[in-house]
Amino acid sequence: MRIVLLECKKVIMSPVIIGLFFLFTAFNLLVIFNSSDHKDELKIVNEIIDTYGREITPSSLELLKKDIQNDLLELEQLTGKRYDSVYDFLEGLDVEAYERYSDKEKTFITQLQLKEMYESTASSIDENYAKIDVEKLGHTSLEMYKISGPAAKTYLAENEKFAKRFDDMIQNEEHKEWFFAGKAYKMHTYLFNNIFLQMMIEILLLVVLSTAFLATYEFEQRSHLVAFSTRRGRKLMKDKLAASLATAVAISALVLGSTLGVFFMVFDYSHVWETSISSAFNWEYNFPNVAWWDITVGQFLLASIGVLFIGVLLISVLTFAISILIKNSYVTFFVVAAGFILLYMLPSFMPHSSNLLFVAGYTLPTLLMAISGLFMGSSGMIFFKNFEWVTIGVWTAITIIALFISFRRFAKLDIQ
Amino acid sequence: MRILWNEMKKILTWKSLLLLLIINCILYFFLIDFYIKHFPNGRPALDSYRIGIEMIEKYGTSMNDEEFQDFRKVYEARVEEADRYLQTEKVAVSEGIDTYAKFNSYDWSSASKEAGELRDRLFFEEGTDLFWELQERNRLIGFYDGKKMYPSDITPAQKQRYEELAKEGIFGTYPEVAIRNFQDYITNVAVAILFSVVAVISPMILEDRTRHVVPLQYTSKKGRNVLKTKLLASFLSTLLVITSLLVIYLSLYSLNDTSVYFNVRINSFIGNESWYNPTFLQYILFTIGGIYLVGIAFGLAAMGFSTIVPNTLTLLGVQIPFVAGFLIFALNRIITFPMNMWFPKWQMPVFYGLLLLSSMFFVWYVNRREKKMDITI
Amino acid sequence: MIVVKDVCKRYGDFTALEDISLEFSNGLYGLLAPNGAGKTTLIKMLATLISPSSGEIQYNGENIVAMDQRYRELLGFLPQQFGFYKNYSPAQYLFYLAALKGISKQQAQVKIDELLAKVALSDVKHKKMKKFSGGMIQRVGIAQALLNDPKILILDEPTAGLDPKERARFRHLLTDLARDRLVIISTHIVSDIESIANEIIMIKNKRLLYKDSVEQICETLRDAVYETTVDFSQLDEFRKRFVLLSEKQEYGKMIVRFIHKGEKEEGWIPVQPQLEDVFLYEYQDEMVEEL
Repeated sequence: MRIVLLECKKVIMSPVIIGLFFLFTAFNLLVIFNSSDHKDELKIVNEIIDTYGREITPSSLELLKKDIQNDLLELEQLTGKRYDSVYDFLEGLDVEAYERYSDKEKTFITQLQLKEMYESTASSIDENYAKIDVEKLGHTSLEMYKISGPAAKTYLAENEKFAKRFDDMIQNEEHKEWFFAGKAYKMHTYLFNNIFLQMMIEILLLVVLSTAFLATYEFEQRSHLVAFSTRRGRKLMKDKLAASLATAVAISALVLGSTLGVFFMVFDYSHVWETSISSAFNWEYNFPNVAWWDITVGQFLLASIGVLFIGVLLISVLTFAISILIKNSYVTFFVVAAGFILLYMLPSFMPHSSNLLFVAGYTLPTLLMAISGLFMGSSGMIFFKNFEWVTIGVWTAITIIALFISFRRFAKLDIQ
Repeated sequence: MRILWNEMKKILTWKSLLLLLIINCILYFFLIDFYIKHFPNGRPALDSYRIGIEMIEKYGTSMNDEEFQDFRKVYEARVEEADRYLQTEKVAVSEGIDTYAKFNSYDWSSASKEAGELRDRLFFEEGTDLFWELQERNRLIGFYDGKKMYPSDITPAQKQRYEELAKEGIFGTYPEVAIRNFQDYITNVAVAILFSVVAVISPMILEDRTRHVVPLQYTSKKGRNVLKTKLLASFLSTLLVITSLLVIYLSLYSLNDTSVYFNVRINSFIGNESWYNPTFLQYILFTIGGIYLVGIAFGLAAMGFSTIVPNTLTLLGVQIPFVAGFLIFALNRIITFPMNMWFPKWQMPVFYGLLLLSSMFFVWYVNRREKKMDITI
Repeated sequence: MIVVKDVCKRYGDFTALEDISLEFSNGLYGLLAPNGAGKTTLIKMLATLISPSSGEIQYNGENIVAMDQRYRELLGFLPQQFGFYKNYSPAQYLFYLAALKGISKQQAQVKIDELLAKVALSDVKHKKMKKFSGGMIQRVGIAQALLNDPKILILDEPTAGLDPKERARFRHLLTDLARDRLVIISTHIVSDIESIANEIIMIKNKRLLYKDSVEQICETLRDAVYETTVDFSQLDEFRKRFVLLSEKQEYGKMIVRFIHKGEKEEGWIPVQPQLEDVFLYEYQDEMVEEL
């Protein structure tokens, strides 16, 4: 244990890792603050959930509609004219006329506008979901990705399963829960794609650097002859591995903690944790986000963090294994980076008729780069229900084997 | 001279060349390949590319109103062709889309099944270029008709430039596929070259120190001037790396066959209003110059860092923010759109200037520091 | 007791050591050979850093590689060149190595103070090592080798970088240590070990040449070492005829020490052979090559 701590100290004492960490965090915060214009608009969802409950039921929707009517009456008093919708009012309004209203009145108008938007989306859920034909979309995707042969068969079989899940989801009314309007704000993509991807790359940079640094430290400082002839001997590598993993966990926790902490301070998610991730409001692009399981936004976040941690730890161990073989942290860094991109691109080298096309997608880089689409049946080529756990399982096995080989080689290696 | 050669051999080892190869193979497939393999990228980009060539061959590198009338006539003739074609289609007649005008104004969002099938057949199945081409010609005419319009929320400088261009009769009316493709392509090439330079140049000077060669070098006849030789060797290696990669990537680019467009001035391409107005070829040369400059600046910085950092962790760690910062904040502004009017006019020269000056200053400082420094172990 | 049994080490086509068999019990052993003879290879094998291509090394009848940490627990090792962490102080560096050697924190604290005093580095205990002289670094190295109070102490060129005073102190320290443990010192400086080693091991052409006491080894040149005075003019001629061990200028003439196995000539004074003489004699070919 003491050795592990002393090894960790080597990373902590190196100002680069600390410096990069602060720089990355500052950059993340900058990105968050820069795109926080609509943070106040999001709060309307919290109000809606407070007032009408998280679930969208005919009766609660009716209530909302009634309240909007009341607001429109108020608008009538304000403007002296009857509007069917606040949008009609805004359409005929120029900037100068709008500026004449007081701040309070302006807030009222904006709020009403938002309420109407949410109400109209909620009212058209059934209509919009009825239009979706998952099976047909499956065929369209095949054409789009130019998939044929056995691959097409596999795809359609999985798609059929998803079609069933999609129907179940509608049956359960998982989609009838309030969430931030996806088409307008794209919060899911923003958090789980932009922010998570950014954090993931930063964490990986830090972790790969610190792991390679630790694993090759004695060789690069030329203290290997002393260090590996001590009582602990070559088992020191095990301590170094433990230290690398501890550092990786600490780095991940710090980056995630600081960035997500600020993120959720800026964007108030407090009321939507329990909302299903398959909510109709979480419909951003052509197809709504629909998960294979009935999971909430909060669970999705935890699961994403879990996947990120596992992925980072596995990559740390792989980096360690490679470092032992290469014994040069500089080369290791580039080899890992190259390997990462190469694995990520693997599917594009595969024939579109073979199941290899999908198999090649079961890689750590693909998993980590696709956080926003994890656990989803609506995430294109990696929509398989078993994608996450199989990928993690297979890569855990690969990592352990790689580490085993690497350690065994090191045990017999002549240390010059 | 012999020392210089030896230092260069230390940089361009077979190991670093292998690293170079790996980096470029991977980035080629990851970033660059697409813009060669998929140019022009589907329809109507292909039609756009073809019509552009036709325009240049027929009217030269700029069009006056008279020439444009001719262009419009070609369009109208093609429309008549389409009309005749549609009239022979039973479905078109029965659906009331027996002319191209009707075909165009038809409400496709609530199209009948037959009409939808007809459209799919015309566009995708029969392999006729006509309808795609018409679409593109129509778009080009649209741009020509609206050539004098410009956005309202622009700075006075931008407005002045618009007026200047209008006065000279320069409008964005030529298809932009070629220049957009070049901009995308060269941006990704720049990324690959930047990574290559940094990866190859970074380790050498540090390695000499970690291998404890420095005390020997600094006490030789050449003494501390050897650092200058190392810097020169790094510089020459940078140029060598950039040049050889550019040769490869530009030969690949020649596969895109855009030379017909080379004499068109960049402001004549649609949506490409710029502060300067070189021809496409001159613009390409300018961008290549820009890549040299960026490569040299980062090469110099890499040499500087290599001289002062204590270990490879720091060497990599320190350069990550600079490279990432460049990719995030500067790449777009000085490589993809160096002359574009969306950015202030001063920006490109200032960015290039800062990049080069700061890296040169850094190397100068490092060199001076080394002259006086105590060489401990 | 360490037994080296028929050990060979090959790197591809190149053979570094061939058929070495040795026995070590308590006491001080001097491993004497010119550079490149395979000393460091043997030493690294004794430190388990590299493993023999064939043959094995045993400690009390057990293979040292198989003994793993039970062996290394007994081992103190100073490599010929060793890295240190530039930004660490000797105390920090030793503390880290103490952890690797499985010494508890409290014990390490005491031991480090004691050792730093022993190698006269107490006053720079908390100074960063990057400003240290070579001799100081070497003394840190000696201290780290002694951290775990080793039963087996292996030192590769330990006196490199030490000044004469430090050398003397170091020799004294070694005699002390060798009383109840096994100390192996590799060196090519004869005077370092001549007076203190119980046995000398010499390796030549990758094979074991001698393993014996200084006296026994010197015995091999009995009645073959002479000194005489020659004229400058005759010196070249003399060099061609005999193996010269040393030349010394005195009163305008040269006093030479040389080896001749055979009839004594007039004017030659027979002298007691020294270890240095054997060293020079045995490795004369290699010396010539080196020149």
